[in-house]
Amino acid sequence: MSVLLLKLAGPMQSWGSSSRFARRGTEVAPTKSGVLGLLAAARGIRRTEPLTELLGLEFGVRIDQPGQIMRDFQVTRSLDGRTRFPLTYRYYLADAVFLAAVGGPDELLHGLNEALQRPAFPLFLGRRSCPPAGRISLGVHDGDVDGRLGDFPWCAADWFRKRADSRVHLELIRDAGPGEAITETQCDEPISFDPARRQHAWRPVVRRHTEITNDLADRSVDHDPMSLLGG
Amino acid sequence: MYLTRFRVNTARRGARKLLSSPQAMHAAVRAAFARPEDYEHDGTRSLWRLDTPAPATVHLYLVSPGRPDLTHLVEQAGWPTTETWDTREYGPLLDKLQPGQRWAFRLTANPSHSGRKNTDAKETQRFGYLREHEQADWLVNRADRHGFTVAAQQDGQPNLRLHKRQTQTFTRGMGTVTLVTATYDGILTVTDPTVFRQALTGGIGHAKAYGCGLLTIAPAG
Repeated sequence: MSVLLLKLAGPMQSWGSSSRFARRGTEVAPTKSGVLGLLAAARGIRRTEPLTELLGLEFGVRIDQPGQIMRDFQVTRSLDGRTRFPLTYRYYLADAVFLAAVGGPDELLHGLNEALQRPAFPLFLGRRSCPPAGRISLGVHDGDVDGRLGDFPWCAADWFRKRADSRVHLELIRDAGPGEAITETQCDEPISFDPARRQHAWRPVVRRHTEITNDLADRSVDHDPMSLLGG
Repeated sequence: MYLTRFRVNTARRGARKLLSSPQAMHAAVRAAFARPEDYEHDGTRSLWRLDTPAPATVHLYLVSPGRPDLTHLVEQAGWPTTETWDTREYGPLLDKLQPGQRWAFRLTANPSHSGRKNTDAKETQRFGYLREHEQADWLVNRADRHGFTVAAQQDGQPNLRLHKRQTQTFTRGMGTVTLVTATYDGILTVTDPTVFRQALTGGIGHAKAYGCGLLTIAPAG
């Protein structure tokens, strides 16, 4: 069992699992359907084609830098100005960084890693207006999803890490193993991306926290001039 | 010389006034000395600084020629029944200073330069440096005349970290005072102990009455 690690960072991201009608929401962390969709795009799998090999992958994500929720109020008219489209509210995560892990068979993950270097379709973070910043793939690693997410170095931006403590607690959201006590269920297990008949299943999810050391932390706060004068 | 630490009880109303106005804190520090020569004496003067080692923990550090009495501060902004202040002799440390010693230091200063606002201006005035690299250069360039050098990091940059960079505005009588302050943390090497001693007791830069210029040292970890 190996794990493919992805760094999902960009000016804007949007990961919706329950968007309906004119309100297009975002979760606070990437959804499984969003990330598997990104991998499918890299592979060149069309929306109408079956996802077969991607269906069995295990998925987890760590919130490295939560970002801020941003609302876009969108007013659209047709080119001739006669048709007015419904007003929509679109939600984005601004300036967020996530570490996503995809677990599965070795050769499949290496194939996906290669595909991410030379993607067949353009890659984006949940919505087409959200291009990724820099390379997405962090390579294939040994171990399982929970373990790699638990100990991989913190991926947040430098300015964010400098402001944090020397030990930080990061939230981790991953697929529940068989028989494990689940935290919640999310409707983002992709079955088909076919635009005519999109299908998602409920997915049992475990949330936990992991403790990561932060070497960029501001250590200078413990300046004690009294220590030279006898305690 | 004496180094004093006083912990401010931030929940008290008196503390709000002192922490929001360097002018009020200056007056409180001045009032801690019964005799004027304990406050200012022979080229040495009293210097103070506010440190925030943890959220909602504020320390007032005070270097003074004489022993201060902070009873009024404890009554207004402290814990009158359980905690007072801590005063230590500064002399033994000052006598121990040798060239080549490495210390971790902290300094809150007012990095500024003087000039004319425009070419027609009759008088010069002081302007604060606002950019981080200008503020860092300000200290690195004047370290030499205060008897120390800022140590270099592995990448050749000075071992300095600037935080709490802010522009403070407060009232002084009928007018307002605007000050640019920055807190410097880093490692220094002593080059000239006599001059360095003067920097520790006399301060660095301007706005010394308003919590700027006090340089303190600690063991370099």
